[in-house]
Amino acid sequence: MASSTTGRVVAVTGACTYLGGELLRRLEEDPRYGRVLALDIRPPALAPGGKTEFIKIDLTQPTIDGELATLLERHAVDTFVHGAFLSHPTHASDWAHELEDVGTMHVLNACAGVEPRRLVMISTTLVYGAHPKNPNFLTEDAELRGHRDSRFVNDKVRAERQVQRYAKEHPRVEVAVLRFAPILGPTVSNLYTRFLARPVALVMMGHDPLMQFVHEQDAAFALQRAVESHATGAFNIVGKGVLPYTTVLALLGRVPIPMPQLVARQLTKVLWTTQIVGSPPSFLDFLLYLCVADGARARRELGFSARLSIKRTILDFLGIPPDDGAIDIAGAHA
Amino acid sequence: MTDDSDPPDSGDDDWYGDSDPRVPDASAWPDRDLGFLGDDVYLGDHVQIAEPVTPDDGAAEMRELERRLEQHRTPVFPIDLRRRLPLEGVWRRWRALAMWGRSDVVDDFGRDPRATARWEWLFEFLYSRWFRVQATGLEHIPDKGGALLVANHAGSLPYDSAMVMHAVRRDHPARRDVRPLVEDTVFHLPFLGLLMNRIGGVRADPENAERLLMKDELVAVFPEGEKGMAKLWKDRYRLQRFGRGGFVKLALRTSAPIIPVAVVGAEEAAPMLGKVTWFAKNIGIPWIPVTPTFPWLGPAGLLPLPSKWYVAFGPPIDLGKAHGPAAAEDRLLVNKLADQIRTQIQDMIEQLLGRRRSPVLSAYLG
Repeated sequence: MASSTTGRVVAVTGACTYLGGELLRRLEEDPRYGRVLALDIRPPALAPGGKTEFIKIDLTQPTIDGELATLLERHAVDTFVHGAFLSHPTHASDWAHELEDVGTMHVLNACAGVEPRRLVMISTTLVYGAHPKNPNFLTEDAELRGHRDSRFVNDKVRAERQVQRYAKEHPRVEVAVLRFAPILGPTVSNLYTRFLARPVALVMMGHDPLMQFVHEQDAAFALQRAVESHATGAFNIVGKGVLPYTTVLALLGRVPIPMPQLVARQLTKVLWTTQIVGSPPSFLDFLLYLCVADGARARRELGFSARLSIKRTILDFLGIPPDDGAIDIAGAHA
Repeated sequence: MTDDSDPPDSGDDDWYGDSDPRVPDASAWPDRDLGFLGDDVYLGDHVQIAEPVTPDDGAAEMRELERRLEQHRTPVFPIDLRRRLPLEGVWRRWRALAMWGRSDVVDDFGRDPRATARWEWLFEFLYSRWFRVQATGLEHIPDKGGALLVANHAGSLPYDSAMVMHAVRRDHPARRDVRPLVEDTVFHLPFLGLLMNRIGGVRADPENAERLLMKDELVAVFPEGEKGMAKLWKDRYRLQRFGRGGFVKLALRTSAPIIPVAVVGAEEAAPMLGKVTWFAKNIGIPWIPVTPTFPWLGPAGLLPLPSKWYVAFGPPIDLGKAHGPAAAEDRLLVNKLADQIRTQIQDMIEQLLGRRRSPVLSAYLG
């Protein structure tokens, strides 16, 4: 690789995730970035001859932090984007813990040795957890309560706490954490898209919390903004508007199956243990209580506000074009 | 029919193929006419792409098109799955049916305009026929801007908040919407909490209230909270402690005026003779009320008795102007102000009760 390092150098972990891939694509087109390192365990789809270079990094390896540190030093990485997180709960929860919690530790160890100018972490609003006491709009200052028995969420909470501690100990590094609302769109795959893809969906009888989504293009744009800007701290990246869960299902044409809580919990437990469905019993709390975040801070300090409403996002997930037949997705962030 | 090069407008409505621009059909959409659905990028090479939205942004547009065409070649969830979906027509009709009675836009706190309109008749019936509500002092509610309505609370079901809401929407010249703050026990009740939320109720939480007042909404609070609802018949119209004065702090911080509201009649609508806490926790409610009708008549016993109601709105109290926002930290002052307002509402209630000729019978005859 020719080291024509004029411009910024960005390293991206989790390059094969949706957000990672979108970020690589956007950085590739931007002349301000001299070099992009795509770190993952398998190569992402890269345009040939570009400035992006794939380097195989497995964050579950016990001594990967040293390797990362040499990498950061050798390439003089200026911005580190940490996005190696699972978008979907897995039964291999030990491995997930190694990747998310311990993997973040490795990343932070490396960044403590060789301080990059900027560290951006990708998180979700699920870290707030769905609790009966949640206010309608959770701000970034809200406590990260996670979920009582969801390792999927709690690993992310632990990773975020580590990053917060790192930010406190290394004031010279600009640390930004992006908490994305559930991302929906035609290409992204995560817990929510898989859940909403099924023709039938579980509804907790008599409960209908408000839900919030962010369109995949909006999310990718927010990540790009976060890499560009100098803003530090946590930011909720959310879409425009909220809708009740059953209205989301109605818009999608899914058949709601209302169930009393007790039955639903037992059933999901059985289905999860037998690996028939991919959403664990703890996910039911997100169908019971609010977990909606407030995006005002990202609008103020990051200059990001979602362009697509929740209804448009849901219809785009379904493949229904806007009324005028135009494709408003791409033009949205010009 | 199975020929892939079949032109899209073959006129057969039930035919859905890869080259049919109507595959993601929204024409069954209930609230608008989409007969003219434009072209869709997913649909092969014969498609004419519509004019870009922003003309000077061809590059981004093309990039998005390329991305989507690329995905079209590799099977990806929703489109390709939907194409294989059997009973497409049934699915479309189901979608239209499922959206019946609900709006596809709700406000930030979950108020659904269509659901509100759907229940309007019930509240109108309760208001003018069943409780024969007499509302006075509506002129004290501002036409614009936020205000905090502070009211007393009674009855095992929150009919009083519904009636305060309906009084302002019906008889106030500006027809303003009141957002009642609903305590947790009611808000998380199955079905009932959900209904309260759809017609405008918001979970009682200082952050929610502050946000609503900042948006210049009318917020109704019942500072007695659960204690007000738990009052027995013998304690009727005796105001309980006004929480921890959270509503005063709120008014000081947002400098919204407080409008004291006295509701008379709610106690007689559901006179709670006693309450049973045994087994109640198991079904997720704090107590089981015992009224002259409730458990005896089954669910029909939950219907309120037809008492005669009076609702009085008092003149606004501007705490923000008198004390300034910093006073919200002064605990002694907050508690004192909360108690002052409590006494004022208690006086308003006594006044309304004085209008009745006899204590029990006129509560129902009016």
